[in-house]
Amino acid sequence: MPESWFHREFLTPRKLCFNVIWYGLHFFLFGYGWHSQATNARLAGLNTLKWSVWSSRGAGLVLAFDGGMILVPMLRNIIRVVRPKLAWLFPADENIWFHRQVAYQMAFWAMVHTTAHYVNFIRVEQTQIRKQTALEIHYTQPGGITGHVMLLIIVLMYSTAHNKIRAQCFEAFWYTHHLAFFFMIGLYTHATGCFVRDTAQPDFIPTFPFYSTDHCLGYLSWRFTIWPGILYFGERVYREIRARRSTKLSKLLVHPSGAMELRIVKPSFKYTAGQWLFIQVPDVSKFQWHPFTITSAPEDPYVSVHIRQVGDWTRALGDRVGAGPSVVQAMTQAALKAYDKDEKTTTALGRGDFVELDPASSTRPLPVVRIDGPYGAPAEDVFKAEVAVLVGAGIGVTPFASILKHIWYRQRRGDLGSLRRVEFFWICRDAPSFGWFQSLLQEVEAAQTDPNFLRINIYLTQKISEDMLWNIAVNDAGADYDPLTLLRTRTMYGRPDWKAIFGRIRQAIESGQYLPGSKSQLVTKVGAYFCGPSVLAKAIKEEAMAACTSNVKFTFAKEHF
Amino acid sequence: MGVFIWHDWARFVSLAASIYLVWAGYWAIFYRKFFWDIVGGIVRDPGGIQPSRGAEPFISVIVKAPIIQIMVIIVSLITLMVELPAPFIKGTSIYRSWTLRIVLLIFQAFLGVLLYQGTNGALYSLIAAYGYTMAQMKGETMPEPKKGGGRGDRA
Repeated sequence: MPESWFHREFLTPRKLCFNVIWYGLHFFLFGYGWHSQATNARLAGLNTLKWSVWSSRGAGLVLAFDGGMILVPMLRNIIRVVRPKLAWLFPADENIWFHRQVAYQMAFWAMVHTTAHYVNFIRVEQTQIRKQTALEIHYTQPGGITGHVMLLIIVLMYSTAHNKIRAQCFEAFWYTHHLAFFFMIGLYTHATGCFVRDTAQPDFIPTFPFYSTDHCLGYLSWRFTIWPGILYFGERVYREIRARRSTKLSKLLVHPSGAMELRIVKPSFKYTAGQWLFIQVPDVSKFQWHPFTITSAPEDPYVSVHIRQVGDWTRALGDRVGAGPSVVQAMTQAALKAYDKDEKTTTALGRGDFVELDPASSTRPLPVVRIDGPYGAPAEDVFKAEVAVLVGAGIGVTPFASILKHIWYRQRRGDLGSLRRVEFFWICRDAPSFGWFQSLLQEVEAAQTDPNFLRINIYLTQKISEDMLWNIAVNDAGADYDPLTLLRTRTMYGRPDWKAIFGRIRQAIESGQYLPGSKSQLVTKVGAYFCGPSVLAKAIKEEAMAACTSNVKFTFAKEHF
Repeated sequence: MGVFIWHDWARFVSLAASIYLVWAGYWAIFYRKFFWDIVGGIVRDPGGIQPSRGAEPFISVIVKAPIIQIMVIIVSLITLMVELPAPFIKGTSIYRSWTLRIVLLIFQAFLGVLLYQGTNGALYSLIAAYGYTMAQMKGETMPEPKKGGGRGDRA
């Protein structure tokens, strides 16, 4: 049963805390704006309009706040820098979520503000406290013009940003969202008409900001809200400059499962395991940036991403590099045939083989690529826990490629921090479609000297046919390697039982057999890291928290993409 | 590159426009004003614009009696019922019709543009109608509604 709305919003301490602060702040600002207008003796003229002007001013102050906040969660580079210090204070990975919360508030208060102004202006016209008509204020003064334009931009931006539209046509969302530029211009200039004044006529002056602050008594909120705008603009410029630094696509490997591996050399690009980047291929699209998880470890001499040809952009990229769907299909079949032969002789290799695309053999050289990043991801925390439980579901397994490689490198260097054991879980519907990941797991597994350090658990949730069942039953018995994944680890079928898994880990730690010597320790920290669908995240988090005891502490972190 | 499905987008704009117009119509009952009264009208102090004689028919259905306002609310509510959709409309031929939506949207835009409060809603309605026209031209069809609805399949 899904938890109720009330439970989610009010009975979860963090959420409750956010809700109280967030809505409290909005209502406080509204109340303060209302009060400061209603009690301002210099604005007595405007105050004859009574509640409509008070609410428009209150909502105006709220909107100024939201207008400043809307860009803050999008300052990706700044967030990346401050997140290690401030991760305890706010969930830095939830920046898009927060961006949406600001947007919802903006829509609501824009409704209040606009409604109130429609009343204000008709009352101005009727009472003629200013010798103007309502339509003059609406359509000839800066406040009215920018307001109507911003409302229209809101309709266009919100409607294309909806999950459904974004999923089916990212470009529509991406390009439309750049109307934000005009929106912000509108926001900063909204008050230049000097509607809030104590004189009959607006007091315009020839110098910046072109109205006299002696008589124009607005909030002057642009002085504050413009800073996130400037920072964001600066960040976009910086990203552009950084993206132009020398970048070379050095190798392009095609894995039999259809995934393309791009190995990119960019000396100025520094990152940690588990982070992601934006990639752009001008030959495919000049303006589009697509996010991908980095699959190489920071120790690798290149940056790699694995791209499956599932969307239109990725397919176009495949065509461009000469690894279109037909090529990949042919290769997959060739590989499968080879694999069928290999199976009889039970060699461990066969599926992990990849083919390097040779640029010399094709008529076009490898395309120019540009990368922007890195961003996000709490993977460095892995080394702060004694036991790391890494859970990847489906395509969410990708960041763990980098993390596992990184752990492997650090293991070789003997620099594992407090990390003693790694439990890796991979839940997927059909393992063979992630052939490239299996080959990576093979490498990592084969390199293990301590059999207890890394445990790989693979869960296959797909419904298996009777033929496959027999196949597994016959091939599995007595073989050194799992018939499906070719790992020493056995594949498990069905969904993992998290309660039992965390319970077992806790018991094993408490009895002292899991981590030799850990008895002397007071608290053992078990960090669970998850990447995948949020429904599963919730279930895992609950079970991890339920398994906490006084001397075994579970923490949970998840990654978004 | 990605396939932009016009009717999915137009639906959101249409929802925004219709909700805007219901709200605008509600306020227009209390603050009655014919948007185009400025044409040929004179400004009186106090009292605001006094519309010209030619605007008399509009004044009688907007200012003297809020008939247009109530009509705007009703038409927008009908649009909302088609768009959301209301349970009894889901799966019917009305629900699958782009033409009906275009007609409703243009009609509510026509009514909305008469009101002082309704011009933005009218503009958004026309944008939504444009979206549905594109959907019609591209030959998009409304898929059968999913049983149970929601995003449960993403789990």
